[in-house]
Amino acid sequence: MTALAARTAQTTVAARLASRSDLTAFFMGLTDEIGADGYMLVAISHDQDRDNLQIIASNWIYDAIQMAGHALIAGLAQSPYASAPGVRPQSLVASQAPALLGGEEARLLEVLGHSEIFALRLQVGRQRLFVLFSAAEAGQIDATAMPRAQLECCYALSQAQGILASASLQDPLSDRERECLFWVSEGKTTEEVALILGVSSNTVNSYITHAIQKLSASNRAMAIATAIRSGII
Amino acid sequence: MTRAHARQTSTSPEVAQDVPARAGGNAPRAIALADAIRRCRWIAIELGAQDFAFCTVGSAADSGRLVPCFDSEHPVASASTRLLDDGIGEQLLRQVRHSTAPCWWADEAEAEAFAGLVWTNRLEPTAGGGRGIAFPVYSDCGQAGLFVFAGAQLAPSSAALHDLHGRCFQLFNSIAGLARGRAAAMPSMSRREIECLKLTSRGYTSEEIAKELKLSVHTANQYLTQTTQKLNAVNRMHAVAKALRLGLID
Repeated sequence: MTALAARTAQTTVAARLASRSDLTAFFMGLTDEIGADGYMLVAISHDQDRDNLQIIASNWIYDAIQMAGHALIAGLAQSPYASAPGVRPQSLVASQAPALLGGEEARLLEVLGHSEIFALRLQVGRQRLFVLFSAAEAGQIDATAMPRAQLECCYALSQAQGILASASLQDPLSDRERECLFWVSEGKTTEEVALILGVSSNTVNSYITHAIQKLSASNRAMAIATAIRSGII
Repeated sequence: MTRAHARQTSTSPEVAQDVPARAGGNAPRAIALADAIRRCRWIAIELGAQDFAFCTVGSAADSGRLVPCFDSEHPVASASTRLLDDGIGEQLLRQVRHSTAPCWWADEAEAEAFAGLVWTNRLEPTAGGGRGIAFPVYSDCGQAGLFVFAGAQLAPSSAALHDLHGRCFQLFNSIAGLARGRAAAMPSMSRREIECLKLTSRGYTSEEIAKELKLSVHTANQYLTQTTQKLNAVNRMHAVAKALRLGLID
């Protein structure tokens, strides 16, 4: 431990979420504080023609998640109601949003106890996550507390890299792979990238192939798109 | 304004006048540089900071650098150099990719002023002394930036920290909107062209696009060549990257 780290530990400035139970405790506390009943932290990645939803933490009952379905949850997180940090959040009331929700979906959410939902977009460094806070009754959640809660989530998750990494959401590429992908996204050919980085074309191709595999993409264009969407390049 | 944008705007919920533009909805209100500097100065005053600087983070993976945009001594821009000197810039650059938490630095004797700030990161103090705090920000289209505030009187309160950081986020989105507006070279694309580009970004080959959109392979290729030209790109990969960064596709 460096001298600085030792001193920082003494002043305990940076609180950390060291384990899954810390993460759960943090979200339970925050959910309670803002008057909500439910929380759900998700990551969304795009794959061919559909959104993949990964639930990182949630206190929704298992059946509710199954019944609502991943597509609906991903839709809620990415709806125009979802606000970025610095934008005053606006809630989605299931009974009042027929444009976004089908009548049946709205009723389902009400039955499951998620009548009013605040969808917040989070930034954890360059990585984008979404959190849904919900309540059984509209007006139950303290809307004025949301902007603070939103940044609090960003801060706390920034100090929970270990947990997020185990959820395999972290930037999976090596520096070299990222660099190659970046130059390809700038329109450079394999030969040009090889020249820029001072390695052989074969090496460049192998870096790019690895990057494509790691991003589970089907070709270069998709790998680039995936990397840009997740803020890797 | 592209058709895709117009469609999004029409589906966004009714927003009260004073609510700032929201993600994916209407474009952020573009503001002039002088406006941005003024708004940044207000934040500086609330923090008790003398100097401030705003810089963006280059996107090129590890060759990404901090690019100073404006500071408290605009147009001289000497404050940026002063604030980011002494290794602070490098430390911030390492932080901004992984952490949204505000970072601060101060001498040991002065660290008490920051003791109440939970979740924040502490940087190595500079050799030259002094104290400062930096707020990482990220725009809707994935750009990263940093607002840096410094000065001997700097005294951030933990109660106001979230609000000030929120305002930095808002300001960055306005500035990002400003840069896009200035470029004004947003090419106008047809619905088909956008569709082809979108499918390409999802990993579809020309043949698959043709099948999906019920076109001939030749036509699909034609659309992609057109988009590549319109975006002033050298090949498809470049076109996809440019379209994503411009927000033409998502």
